[in-house]
Amino acid sequence: MRALVIDDSRTMRRIVADILSGLGFDTSQASNGREALDLLDAGDAFDLACIDWNMPVMDGLEFVVAVRARREWRDLTLIMVTTEGERGQVVRALAAGAHEYVMKPFTPDALASKLALLGLLPFEESP
Amino acid sequence: MSMPGAIDAGQVAIIATEVFAAMIDREAGFLTTWSGGPLTVADPLYAWVDLSTVPASRLQLSTDAGTADEVTRAFLTMGRVEPVAEADVADALGEIANVLAGNVKALLPEHVEMTLPKVSWQSPSRDGARLNEVLLEWRGRPIIVSLGTI
Amino acid sequence: MTISADTFTFVAELVRRCSAIQLPAGKEYLVETRLGALARQADFVGVDEYVGALRLLQHCAEHDRVVDALTTNETSWFRDFKSFQALIGHVVPTLLRDDPALTSIRVWSAACSTGQEPYSISMALLESAPGLAVEIIATDISQEVLRRGRSGRYSLIEINRGLPAAMLVRHFVRAGAEWELSDQIRSTVTFSQHNLLDQPPAGGAFDIIFLRNALIYFDLQTRREVLCRVRSVLRPGGFLLLGATESTLGIDDAWERVPIGGGSVYRISTADAA
Repeated sequence: MRALVIDDSRTMRRIVADILSGLGFDTSQASNGREALDLLDAGDAFDLACIDWNMPVMDGLEFVVAVRARREWRDLTLIMVTTEGERGQVVRALAAGAHEYVMKPFTPDALASKLALLGLLPFEESP
Repeated sequence: MSMPGAIDAGQVAIIATEVFAAMIDREAGFLTTWSGGPLTVADPLYAWVDLSTVPASRLQLSTDAGTADEVTRAFLTMGRVEPVAEADVADALGEIANVLAGNVKALLPEHVEMTLPKVSWQSPSRDGARLNEVLLEWRGRPIIVSLGTI
Repeated sequence: MTISADTFTFVAELVRRCSAIQLPAGKEYLVETRLGALARQADFVGVDEYVGALRLLQHCAEHDRVVDALTTNETSWFRDFKSFQALIGHVVPTLLRDDPALTSIRVWSAACSTGQEPYSISMALLESAPGLAVEIIATDISQEVLRRGRSGRYSLIEINRGLPAAMLVRHFVRAGAEWELSDQIRSTVTFSQHNLLDQPPAGGAFDIIFLRNALIYFDLQTRREVLCRVRSVLRPGGFLLLGATESTLGIDDAWERVPIGGGSVYRISTADAA
């Protein structure tokens, strides 16, 4: 399965991509919502996108809205991975069409647990 | 008063320990409050995020170059002797400031916006801003998290 | 850094003596990581040195801390999600079908740790069967985890583990740097201290019992005894839920296994006239 990691921080992109590769995903990266949309428009297909909120050019919420407006991308699972941690922000993101929400700071197993909830892990979660 | 929304130093310290435990050290116990005497950091590197409180406020992280390198190595799980590029250090510290600021702003009674992080060897707060300092110790090294109106 | 065989033996014996929980060979890593933190807090270089010092002391609070550190699970919300799918999709509908007049459900969450399991059960039941009154008895041997469970407050790190975001916004509010469960959910759970080696909690039979990832710490005979005591407080037609890799097979044949969606739930075998 393929995952797109979208964050303006190279450090965070690398960390999230490492976690996802460890779980069996092939990963690509984009540093803002516009770059990510360009990849999708160019025909790159992904199963999962992990999306930061605060980014230059196009932020994560705008990216979610843009993706959910396109029928051809309706099978793309969208998970926010962001420091925005107010309850109201989580509500906004879910209302815009994000499927899940991980708040920074997070541990690798937290991201894995959200993927398990969405049925995106190939193996059973082990106790 | 300088602390926006009367956020106290204890809460900032708790947030910082969670950030380091979860994402940098991947284990609790390496970031604590500073146990030594008064603290000044020589030639610090600054990473900061501004918040749209009224008046505006800033969350700032500062530490010395050696500590900044070590934090970056830990964050990126690099080897102890791997050279760290300046751009990587700036990105890592900026992201830490970003995560601290996001969690601090969630303590405020109302939603505020935050800027993207900036990193510099020049202090952004020279011009009379009054920031409260929370002195922290990471593996024996000093890290200062400052918060206040600008 | 690996701990010495002596250290592991001492620690395993200490834990067994205080809780009947067995740490089999192969759990050395668990001991290293859990006690590493305690060793550092007590200013020891490593676990061997720390345990070496403990061996010289009469049993004291520090020994209890060691036992606590090794008998607390890493817990998450909706752990083994299949169990909750089984709860909502099969267990509750079956209970309602067997008794259409059922208005309330009594659940026992045994070895509940810091409370994520009983609160997850409560959220799942509230959302799937809102008309049912729910009473959940949550028990654990450790006072510390019970205290945390009663508070209903969790850190960001804990909230991130396994909790669907939609559940977060429906049932939690921010409380400073933590998240706090609604009164509605908290009021359904009563926490109390209980050792699985003792008689089960009083108050009547349960409709559903969660005993997940607790039996793994006991030897075969103890597991048999625990399951027998659990059986005595499960009402006929009620359900037992174990951990994903656990089974009653080979331990207690008074149960029948009901396969559900890749997992299992258990009921008292009707062939066994208690």
